[in-house]
Amino acid sequence: MPKPIRYLLFAVVFALLAYNSVYFRKLDEVKAGAAAFDAAGYAEDFWGKKLIPGLSKAVDLNALTAQLKTEKDKAFEQYSHALGIGNIRYFLVKGQGIVADVSENEVSVKLIGAGEGAGNVRIATEYIFGNAVRDASGAIDINAFTNSMDFNNVSAEINELIREKVVPPFKSKVKKGDRVTFHGAIELNREHLQLNNIEIIPVSLQIEQP
Amino acid sequence: MPIAYSRKNFARFQSLIALFLLCLALSVLSDKFLSFSNLWNVMRQISVNICISVGMTLIVLTAGIDLSVGSVLALCGAITAGLLKNGIELPSQNLYIGFTVLGAILAGGLTGSALGAFNGWAITRFNVPPFVATLAMLTVARGLTMLWTGGFPISGLGDTFLFIGTGWFLGIPVPVWISIVVVALAVFLTDKTRIGRYIYAIGGNESASRLSGINVNRVKIIVYTIAGALAAVGGIMVTSRLDSAQPNAGISYELDSIAAVVIGGTSLSGGRGSILGTVQGAIIIGVLNNGLVLLNVSPFWQQVVKGLVILLAVIIDKSNGKNE
Repeated sequence: MPKPIRYLLFAVVFALLAYNSVYFRKLDEVKAGAAAFDAAGYAEDFWGKKLIPGLSKAVDLNALTAQLKTEKDKAFEQYSHALGIGNIRYFLVKGQGIVADVSENEVSVKLIGAGEGAGNVRIATEYIFGNAVRDASGAIDINAFTNSMDFNNVSAEINELIREKVVPPFKSKVKKGDRVTFHGAIELNREHLQLNNIEIIPVSLQIEQP
Repeated sequence: MPIAYSRKNFARFQSLIALFLLCLALSVLSDKFLSFSNLWNVMRQISVNICISVGMTLIVLTAGIDLSVGSVLALCGAITAGLLKNGIELPSQNLYIGFTVLGAILAGGLTGSALGAFNGWAITRFNVPPFVATLAMLTVARGLTMLWTGGFPISGLGDTFLFIGTGWFLGIPVPVWISIVVVALAVFLTDKTRIGRYIYAIGGNESASRLSGINVNRVKIIVYTIAGALAAVGGIMVTSRLDSAQPNAGISYELDSIAAVVIGGTSLSGGRGSILGTVQGAIIIGVLNNGLVLLNVSPFWQQVVKGLVILLAVIIDKSNGKNE
């Protein structure tokens, strides 16, 4: 094939690909179309209208762990939420326990009603990161967001609310021997289930001092 | 003579025999293994490793190695997802560049090709051992992935894009079709083209190839570029299947890929091996991974078993080399 025709063909293919690959808009029009997203406001709204009312549907942690040991698939199907199809899934849980230890980063709790030999659970009080609470609720649809940054910012703001509203009043009072009622989110790996090292990202914490 | 003949035949079919025995054992040990849904799931997962391993085979045939494929896979998946979801904003120009699914996929593919080409260039231009150059790229690409994603997954990529990783065409999962096309093109490249013969020649004896007029550096750069592009294909498939670009995707994929190549009979010293052998190796690794999960083997033991299988494959490869 002669070189000019080859170059012409190449140029046509390139132009076709480019035309079907990208599109251009004025940035201010795009931004106006998708009004600046207020992640903090969204998180506040979500917290008050969906998350806290949704805590009534949280599964009891003792019951969940018992079911996970006998009917793992059913338990995951019934109570877990996650984005995509990975093995990491999130549960909204509740429970009561006696504080076994208080450290800088977490509070270790022995669950009331847990069987003999059951390990303590850990309530995170310092490192509140990740998407556990956002995803465990199952109440946020990612398709409602125009971009992933907004979606991730919601998670960051929810974690910030936990750090500001939930943890400080709890952390300032809690001590060994206290009876604690908690609601929160946990992360479990469906394929490699570890039930002896559960960390709870708290949403609600109450202390009943003896 | 008959002993030598039968030994040669055994060497040719050893990975097929291993695969058959593995499937037989798993079908006895787990009633889920032979289920339709499990087998298609395995095929979907294997498709990614096949794409990466085909590229790895071309590199290993030239007596090279590429440790960066897992990180390149993650970066290309993230670039594709990021462009598709967020586009590019140029505030100084008041311009927003949006990407269609085609555009995002091309950008991901070009990124993989460019990183592969850079690997090849660094190896040939500065005479850096492939192990070191691609190890450096492993870190660079992972760091770039973290920078691009901010450490967060990029999710919600739309139904059209999801079709690549989760769709079906003519009753077969789309990723399987993609891997079939990749394998067919690679077989054609290695068996029917001049550059395919050069790849074997360079792996067999690089100095002799250079003296006989082969542009060794050019061939190596092409091979690493192809491997980078195929890692990108794998990244796009993984991202589509999960509807999410994960910043830590692809970790240790290079090991599965090298394992597939070695188990498939390609010599790590170059010049000997085949694409179809690698496909068999990738299927063995995929079935082994699946079987260990079905049998509830601890993930820590899974790594031990996979490591031992790779070691065994290399020992058998060495033994075959001696016999030849």
